[in-house]
Amino acid sequence: MGKTRWPVSSAMRSADVRELQQSDSGPASNGCQSDGVAVGRGQRGARVLKAGLRTVVVLCLFTTLVHVVLVFLHVAPANTVSKRYTAAIDAWVYPYFEQNWRLFAPDPDSVNRQILARTADTGADGSVKVSDWFDLTAVDNSTVEHNPFPSHTTQNLLRRAWTSYTETHGGDDKARTERAVMIQKYLNNIAADRVTAHNGGTFDFIQLRVITQPIPAPGTATSGPRTPAETRLLPWWKVTTHGK
Amino acid sequence: MPAGAARWAIDRIRTLWALVTVRPVSLYAASVLRIGYGLLYLIFLLREFPYRHEIWGPSSPWTPALARQLFDQTGWNSILTLSDSRTYFELCYATALVTSTLFMLGWRTRLLSVLFAVVVISFHARSIFMTDGGDNLILLMAVYLVLTACGRRWSLDARRVRIRAARAGGTTEPVRSFLSQQLRDARIALITVVHNCGIFVIAAQVCFLYGSTGLYKVQGATWGNGTALHYALNLELFQPWPALSHLVDQYPLPVALACYMTVLLQVAFPFVLFGRLKYPVLALLLCMHIGIAVLMGLPLFSGAMIVADAVFLPDRFYCLLWRLWKRATQRIGAKDADASLGQRSAPVPAQPGPVSATTSSSAAR
Repeated sequence: MGKTRWPVSSAMRSADVRELQQSDSGPASNGCQSDGVAVGRGQRGARVLKAGLRTVVVLCLFTTLVHVVLVFLHVAPANTVSKRYTAAIDAWVYPYFEQNWRLFAPDPDSVNRQILARTADTGADGSVKVSDWFDLTAVDNSTVEHNPFPSHTTQNLLRRAWTSYTETHGGDDKARTERAVMIQKYLNNIAADRVTAHNGGTFDFIQLRVITQPIPAPGTATSGPRTPAETRLLPWWKVTTHGK
Repeated sequence: MPAGAARWAIDRIRTLWALVTVRPVSLYAASVLRIGYGLLYLIFLLREFPYRHEIWGPSSPWTPALARQLFDQTGWNSILTLSDSRTYFELCYATALVTSTLFMLGWRTRLLSVLFAVVVISFHARSIFMTDGGDNLILLMAVYLVLTACGRRWSLDARRVRIRAARAGGTTEPVRSFLSQQLRDARIALITVVHNCGIFVIAAQVCFLYGSTGLYKVQGATWGNGTALHYALNLELFQPWPALSHLVDQYPLPVALACYMTVLLQVAFPFVLFGRLKYPVLALLLCMHIGIAVLMGLPLFSGAMIVADAVFLPDRFYCLLWRLWKRATQRIGAKDADASLGQRSAPVPAQPGPVSATTSSSAAR
């Protein structure tokens, strides 16, 4: 029943709209201004709005384009353009859009790393007791086995800590940068936590040994000489926050 | 003729303008991304629940002090390092679980998308040395999804709008003043533009991902000689089913073929998106990701990649999927009704027709 009335009143309605708009446009308006003024003001407002919208839209499109180009330069292999504008690219991309898609690329790892830890405890009489080597990686590997959804703590924690350590320290074990000191502390904490969780007890010092075992090339798994594993023995570190 | 050229240029700009301001593209895909990443993060948080203290807690080997020190160097930020209290951490974890769930369901989506991005950034930044490519992708997508109208389809928000519209029924919208109508139009246009830009950035991001990983692989010798997967299959940390990995490794020819297919698919990916070829390519990529998930024990990583690929499926694909799903559930529903009828042999017929008729008429009233 109500529906049939709408078309009749629609002409009146458009007039109402202007009245309403007028009263919306400011608290000072009290309904005694003429219609023409109200319409003019409304149209001016609309024009300003439209110009504003246009500016914002253009800005959006421009930002999108800039973002896409800079992210491309960030992920693409280093080239003349990205080398030249490194500062601008880094300023835009870091930290939140940082990314690295070298997934198993350029080559997947061709080694298995085995990380072991042993601890030393100084007794009350000053004697030092050194523990046996404890294989941290073996624990991770056995946790991954027959687990369809392994935790990040098994697949990423030790693995990424070690790669970060080698990246920041290079071949020797001297921490030359602030970042290197931080990573060393991180690795120290991980090892101490793992040993404590597994064996309990207290200790003052911890030492890591990393055995890098190359994966044999295809077809040579059973026959042929195996490439010898490489062992890296790290210095003793004082355990600070954990362990004792 | 310069006049003709100018008119042509103006027409082009008008078309482009209409394209970006009038129609929000890929609303279904945006919703699928919302559901996908919300669900993935929820699963991730639940999976790591027993290890949450080791990864993000105050007692993590990457101590809050180390995290804060790194933030000073890198510019990252996290709500998790605001306090070293354990209660605060548990509270943050609970908030993260609730946020992921509500974001997945699409409840007050715009607000929740911001909260979700804050949660993902916070957890990512807190233990950045624990993350992998999958986490990185989820982080980027969480940030980009804030821009999109990802709650318009398949969400609680959409349901609320539908119910409200049904309740409003025959009555028309309240009359607005001229300027407020203009403001409303401008707001809608702006939301549309930002959404379209967001979808474009997401699509470009996925293209860059595949393109760059493909280009890097081209530089690797093992991908070139077809042995890369042999090495990947022999990484002990990524061997949840050693017997399966060794079995696959015994077939060098298919393995080499898979190497070449991987590189080809990834490099070709950005170029096939504008034609029908994208469907087989996306299907092959799906198979590849499922293979990675199972063989290498990386379901979260693969899940993140699969959800990202979903951005390239058009709305009509999702509508078709929805219709098929509806038809299947109806058929099952009918079968169930038949079965229950047969069991009880009751004379009361199933009454889907009248029930739906009454609800719709009451809604219209």
